[in-house]
Amino acid sequence: MWALSPAELAVVLLSLKVAACCVLVLLLPAIAMAWLLARKQFWGYAVLDALVHLPMVLPPVVLGYMLLIMLGRRGWVGSWLYEQFHLQLTFHWWGAVIASAVMAFPLMVRAIRQALLQVNPLLEQAAQTLGASPVRTFFTITLPLSYHGVLTGGILAFSRSLGEFGATITFAGNLEGETRTLPLAIYSLTQSPEGDAAALRLVILSVLVSVAALLISQWLERRLLRSQR
Amino acid sequence: MKKWVWLGLCLFSVYAQAEDKKIRVFAAASLTDVMNVLVKQYSQQAGVQVLPVYGGSGTLAKQLEQGAPGDLFISADEKWMQYLQDKQLVQVSTIKPWLGNRLVMITPQNKPLTIKAEGATDIDQQALGYWCTGDTLSVPVGIYAKQSLTSLGWWEKLKKRLVSTQDVRATLSLVERDECDVGIVYASDAQASHKVKVAGEFAESSHVPIVYPMALLPQATAETNAFYRYLQSAETRKLLISFGFKPLFND
Repeated sequence: MWALSPAELAVVLLSLKVAACCVLVLLLPAIAMAWLLARKQFWGYAVLDALVHLPMVLPPVVLGYMLLIMLGRRGWVGSWLYEQFHLQLTFHWWGAVIASAVMAFPLMVRAIRQALLQVNPLLEQAAQTLGASPVRTFFTITLPLSYHGVLTGGILAFSRSLGEFGATITFAGNLEGETRTLPLAIYSLTQSPEGDAAALRLVILSVLVSVAALLISQWLERRLLRSQR
Repeated sequence: MKKWVWLGLCLFSVYAQAEDKKIRVFAAASLTDVMNVLVKQYSQQAGVQVLPVYGGSGTLAKQLEQGAPGDLFISADEKWMQYLQDKQLVQVSTIKPWLGNRLVMITPQNKPLTIKAEGATDIDQQALGYWCTGDTLSVPVGIYAKQSLTSLGWWEKLKKRLVSTQDVRATLSLVERDECDVGIVYASDAQASHKVKVAGEFAESSHVPIVYPMALLPQATAETNAFYRYLQSAETRKLLISFGFKPLFND
């Protein structure tokens, strides 16, 4: 009774795959954007800052719809992708990754920016007076000192992706085995007449997955702190 | 002191609104266009405000089960009506089969296809790409579609590329946008959009009959009852037919 059915296992694995890819995809752009917002002053700063934060305040359906218009098979970018590479993002699990990545981007940027702001600029200057290039300084001084921010950002993005519903169902659709992640599977079941018990199982499962993700992140954080001392 | 007066006024206005007489109609998504016209006509004629709520029949039934304020429920299949009847949430004596419909395959307008709904058709050959329809567990159009696909022996082949949507209108818009190559919708939906073309029709024997039953909910008032009778009158018959439905009532 407690064993997972193959269908349930597939849903969980798909959710984890989408969430993990979401974090990997975001890592570089989020670090770059966080660095830009933390260290640079430029014309249009406020606009860029607002744009980055937009997914946090917009309803997810709106974002899903914007993605559909842009990346759908008839969209500006989507039609090109389809013609060149025969790639259709809607109903593809990469579509789910993109939807949740857009939603998670501001969370990750905020966490990393906060950490970058706490790095003592004197340490960076010291490295540069000793002959390190700005790039080397960033990778050997700034980034290692803000690892906790990257970690927090990654965890936030992972969790956001696990829970993402609105943008995913609007843009990536609800295709079993491809884009039907945990929240979408729960939604589908709650809509069906005999689905309540099965939905409850998935609800419990999603709580367990989230708690496990949180515990692992706490353990990682503690290890990181110890290694920094 | 003044603050409290304002707060009181605000609360009062909320209650005052709740007291307002409106007929709330919970109707299957496929009825959207025709119901909008019916509601407008009736509101002008009878001077009563009718508020339609559209969605997948299952979504609506579950909302009503959880106490959503509704007066009239129109489902796109008998299963969801039965669901509310079992929970004693509708007035059983008022359950009436209202409309019938047909099940068709559609494609985006610029990619027309002809698909014969026969067991001999090799569906992997004729219509590659994604197929969309309502969720096959809960949304009526999806439930009918699964029955037809199964009886034709297409289900196993199509399962992997069948996209579920929350209601039939979501399927229609995905096909209009050319995200889905083929959609399974009602004939009335295909007729409602000029951006799609009918590719084929499923035999009526391949699925349980498509029936839209309607029923009054326990809290329905005399005004709702009048609207309920209006929907089954000779006046509305022509309009319903023009939208592609088949009236099942006797007026």
